[in-house]
Amino acid sequence: MTDERLTDRCRPTRNRRFSAPLCPIALLLATCLVSSCSGNHSTLDPAGPEAAKVAQLFYVMLVGGAVIWIGLVSALIYSARKKHQHSEQTAGRVILWCGAIIPTVILCALLSYGMWLMPAIRPWVPDDQQVRRVEVTGEQFWWRVRYLDEAGSVVFETANEVRIPVGQPTHFSLKAADVIHSFWVPSLGGKMDMIPGRTNPLTLTADREGTYRGVCAEFCGESHALMAFTVRAVAPAEHEAWLAERRTSDPQDAEGLAVFLNNGCGACHAISGTAASGRIGPDLTAFGERGTLAAGTLPHTAEDIARFVAHPGRIKPGVKMPHFGMLPEHDIKKIAAFLKELR
Amino acid sequence: MVELGNFSPEERAAQEERLRKVWKTPGGWRYWTSVNNSEIGLWYGVTAFVFMLFAGALGLLMRAQLATPNNNLISAELYNQAFTLHGTVMMFLFAVPIFEAVAIFLLPSMLGARELPFPRLSAFGFWSFLLGGIFVCGSIFFNAAPNAGWFMYPPLATDKEYAGIGADIWLLGLSFIEVASIAAAVEIIVGIMKCRAPGMRINMMPMFAWYLLIVAGMILFAFPPLIAGDILFEMERMFDWPFFDVSRGGDPLLWQHLFWIFGHPEVYIIFLPAIALMAMIVPTFSQRPIVGYSWIVLAAVGTGFLSFGLWVHHMFTTGLPQISLAFFSAASEAVAIPTGVQIFVFVATMLAGRVIFSVPMLFGAGGLAIFTIGGLTGVMVALAPFDWQAHDTYFIVAHLHYVLIGGMFFPIVAGIYYYFPFVTGKKLSDAWGKVAFWLMFVGFNIAFFPMHFSGLRGMPRRVFTYPEEFGWDLFNLVSTIGAFIFAAGVLTFVIDIFRPKPEPETRNLNPWNAGTLEWTNDPSEDWGMRSVPIITSRYPLWEQENLQADIEAGRYYLPDAKSGKRETLVTSVLDAEPIQCLRVGGVSYVPMISAMALGGVFIALTFHWWIPTIICAVITFIAIIWWLWTGTAQIPEAEEVDVGLGQKLPAYVSGPASVGWWAMFITMVGDGTAFASLIFGYFFYWTVHDDFTAGSAGPGAFWPMVALVLFVIAWLLTIAARALNEKGPAGCRIALVAGIIVTIAACLAGLAGPYLQGMDPTSNVYPATVWVIAIWTVVHGAVGVVMLAYCLARSFAGCMTAEHDQDIRNVTLYWHFMAFTAVVTFAVLGLFPMVST
Amino acid sequence: MKSFIPREVESLWTLFTAPTVWAMHFIGCYAAVAVYCAKAATLDISFDTVRLALGGFTIIALAVIVLSAYLAWRQWGFGSGDPPHDEPTRKDRALFQGFATLLLSGLSFVAVVYAAIPLIFIAECQR
Repeated sequence: MTDERLTDRCRPTRNRRFSAPLCPIALLLATCLVSSCSGNHSTLDPAGPEAAKVAQLFYVMLVGGAVIWIGLVSALIYSARKKHQHSEQTAGRVILWCGAIIPTVILCALLSYGMWLMPAIRPWVPDDQQVRRVEVTGEQFWWRVRYLDEAGSVVFETANEVRIPVGQPTHFSLKAADVIHSFWVPSLGGKMDMIPGRTNPLTLTADREGTYRGVCAEFCGESHALMAFTVRAVAPAEHEAWLAERRTSDPQDAEGLAVFLNNGCGACHAISGTAASGRIGPDLTAFGERGTLAAGTLPHTAEDIARFVAHPGRIKPGVKMPHFGMLPEHDIKKIAAFLKELR
Repeated sequence: MVELGNFSPEERAAQEERLRKVWKTPGGWRYWTSVNNSEIGLWYGVTAFVFMLFAGALGLLMRAQLATPNNNLISAELYNQAFTLHGTVMMFLFAVPIFEAVAIFLLPSMLGARELPFPRLSAFGFWSFLLGGIFVCGSIFFNAAPNAGWFMYPPLATDKEYAGIGADIWLLGLSFIEVASIAAAVEIIVGIMKCRAPGMRINMMPMFAWYLLIVAGMILFAFPPLIAGDILFEMERMFDWPFFDVSRGGDPLLWQHLFWIFGHPEVYIIFLPAIALMAMIVPTFSQRPIVGYSWIVLAAVGTGFLSFGLWVHHMFTTGLPQISLAFFSAASEAVAIPTGVQIFVFVATMLAGRVIFSVPMLFGAGGLAIFTIGGLTGVMVALAPFDWQAHDTYFIVAHLHYVLIGGMFFPIVAGIYYYFPFVTGKKLSDAWGKVAFWLMFVGFNIAFFPMHFSGLRGMPRRVFTYPEEFGWDLFNLVSTIGAFIFAAGVLTFVIDIFRPKPEPETRNLNPWNAGTLEWTNDPSEDWGMRSVPIITSRYPLWEQENLQADIEAGRYYLPDAKSGKRETLVTSVLDAEPIQCLRVGGVSYVPMISAMALGGVFIALTFHWWIPTIICAVITFIAIIWWLWTGTAQIPEAEEVDVGLGQKLPAYVSGPASVGWWAMFITMVGDGTAFASLIFGYFFYWTVHDDFTAGSAGPGAFWPMVALVLFVIAWLLTIAARALNEKGPAGCRIALVAGIIVTIAACLAGLAGPYLQGMDPTSNVYPATVWVIAIWTVVHGAVGVVMLAYCLARSFAGCMTAEHDQDIRNVTLYWHFMAFTAVVTFAVLGLFPMVST
Repeated sequence: MKSFIPREVESLWTLFTAPTVWAMHFIGCYAAVAVYCAKAATLDISFDTVRLALGGFTIIALAVIVLSAYLAWRQWGFGSGDPPHDEPTRKDRALFQGFATLLLSGLSFVAVVYAAIPLIFIAECQR
């Protein structure tokens, strides 16, 4: 629907009591819906079967809802401005039909649609049929990502970025280390909470290659707003190659590594194949591959890495990482350059 | 048909003089000791409104922060405190109290009563609310406000490093206010069931009363689970009992269950009274009786029940089995049906009437148009698959504001415009009203409509900032502009309220030509109804000829106050036949003192000041006993009182005929609900663990069984005391003493199980749960002891006799509940561990 | 059956019969699946058995609601008089109670049917 046609439709009723504010709303609605088909972070721009089916459900409900709302508001306006009174019997019938019977039928149909959809988009998958398994743990305010083999043991660990093969379901085991978080990739499907003491399952599939953004959807503390991640959907072969490659790592910049280790970074962060083996903070192996920094908060540039290392709390209030602003600027730059290039 | 009274002008003047003296509101600073419903209602309403403005200002602060991406107007910490407080204050300090205020203010006049049955309880509720509210709101000025969201999910809210004293302020401050809400619920239920004007059968009740009856009943079942949750939560924060700590067997989801069992009915507790106001306004401006009276009853009762089957729809993403979620989806869709009926009742009434479109109708209709959008998005998010996407996004923010502002705030404003003349005798301005309406209506939609889209485009809730690259910036900027337009509308409305208004030229008590009874009241008099009329119609002012004049001429019941006491009629539940002349409490310090002292207990507990806690608790205890002793079950000077129209009614009744018995019954239903929530917790932990006792021996079966038997004996002794009292004091006193001794023994036996087994409540959630349930029951046993001792003292003091036995009858009722609680507690604690293994 | 149910029940509480049945049915369904899905490993019952049992439970609940509706219909004089039932008489009060109870029985019936719909579509304890 174009904006122009909507404007036309609004014109004849513009001077009516109730319709005046509706025009801008309708225009806004049209503009928003059209423009919303962009970006990698929208439920209305689905890239996977779950998100697609839910978007379809939404459009069905949107049309139905709009019709009902226009009907009701018209009835309100009519009954307020009509010239003659209707009989009490007619009015009683309006209650019976419009208030009770029609809603009962519509809601019954809608409920059945929704109930059919639940197992359709999140079907029962027995544990032994889950091939590609990734464990994601929500921590304040980042994501620990572990790739599991078929037996469920950890193959390798990374953080804040998940790679999945296109067209194949990936089974996520969602956990929380400290407080409740919620794992949500709008373009791929609905969210699932990460609750301490529980492991929640979620299966997502991407239909097309791309980079999709996810966020924490449950309020988890001071920097809840700054807890995002990236899902990269790649061709299956590319994914397999990446999995194989990620099992090994070889930092090139020995001098940078030395600065990194000498300043104690390795106490919290691990880089596979080096002496850095801390488990408290995000694993930094192949950090240079990542698209963003600090759980989707900053672009992945050497300057931003340096800024974050010096004063993480200024960028992410309440972050657990201590600040390293007291280090010589030279060292911070070295560390940043080292991390930026880390493969 | 009874003969109406006829008084000469001199007699009338003398009557009015006596009535005025009895119902006089004290002047000077003693004004604040008033307990009259019109004062309490007004204070309550104004206080709630001020809290609303405060929370609204916090909302604007948040909108200002979100106007642009990566804004740093306020810090993350302040933002988190602001959104927590915004939600908390709007829900607990505005939405619920404002309806209590309206109910306390309007109900007596609508029902044709002089006063609600427990005016001092209303006053107590108000002072509790004021103190608790200031305590909670004030915290933000000390950077100590709660910051974990109004839902307070553990483990974030139990993390002392993150959620410091703010969480305790939330828990204790609000528990205190919840107590006040339950007090108001008791008052409203008893008032509606027992204090209607003669002839006002249940098919004659004003719609407002029907709604309020249901809402008060809902409070009774909705608030106690939260109180139970608060107890568990505070035990964890204060004494490290690990109810929500997973490392020791706890589970954060139990809090979510208890919170939302409260939280969802809460939405309807807020919404129904506002719709009730609409149900008063729409017929007046349609100039005809409401069409579909019975349908409204269906809608109110149906919503009341169904709203308790919705709570898990706030937990659709917690990973519960799909089948569990599905049941709640089903109930969430079903609840849309009574809501739809409600709306179409208004449409039908307007269809069959001649509509005058005045400012209250403007707000009402505008509110309905907004609310319907919220209702439709509610139907959407009720479906679990859609909610998996929409949950915790700005789509929900839009949805809930459409529901609450359209379904509650607009109708409340409509109600204020409508009832302003009832309160002050003057109308608000039509012109200002229209400006306020359009600013609010347009501003609201500009502010909240775009949030649907920012939400669908992936913007999560409760974020203090957001990046700019997802197209959220435009939506947010528009929202912020709209929010300020909306605020301008609210400001216009506030100015209209406070601007000086000219005295009306002619005295017109019923400026809208409404049909319901409250419009016979003269706002310049404190007595409410000049005389209590006989009602033969749903719209007595339209259909009963000469009603206003007859009421004012004192031709009906209670035209006089010869006894010098505040009197109102008590009538039967179904047909409203007069059965008692009730004396209600007058001006007193006691409600204020007990509220302040109880508030002191909660505040001192927050800061772990143990000695002030104990001092305040003792003062509370003494004040309440004093209140009961001097204010309840007073033996009247004469058994029967002349209520006019040649009728005499008893001044003292006991048992189910009395209002006190009903108050006890209703309170204990609420208390039983809290207890049931704790038992739910016990079985919840059983379901989440393979071995819920975690290898602990438990309290054993022996001591719990001893406690169970002793409590049953104490219960039988109480019943015996009541029966013996009818024959004379001696046997009753012996039974009471025996009851006290057995109860003390029962309490000790109840604690002996977990104590002798060395159950350490900090070690694991199982011993903690056993302890908390045992302590709950023992505390009730202790209250039972106090009650028995109170009856004993009343008997010795001659205040409780064979004929005047209200005290022992009410205490017996308490003991029925007590016995049930004890049997369930000790059967579960003692026997279930054996059954389950 | 007549001897069990008095011709006229003079109580406000009859109004709440049907919604109470809904509440019982709802709690029963919720508790049954919550316990079953939590303890499925230790129970020797298939989920289909649970669904069937709850289906039977639903039919019982619907039958009780229909009975309540019949009694309400009777109290309403089998529809002999139209609303609004606003006369100041005991009879009109009773008619009003009958009609309101009948409406609530209808709503409760629908709500119980809604609650049974998930049993048709969802066949496992999946999350």
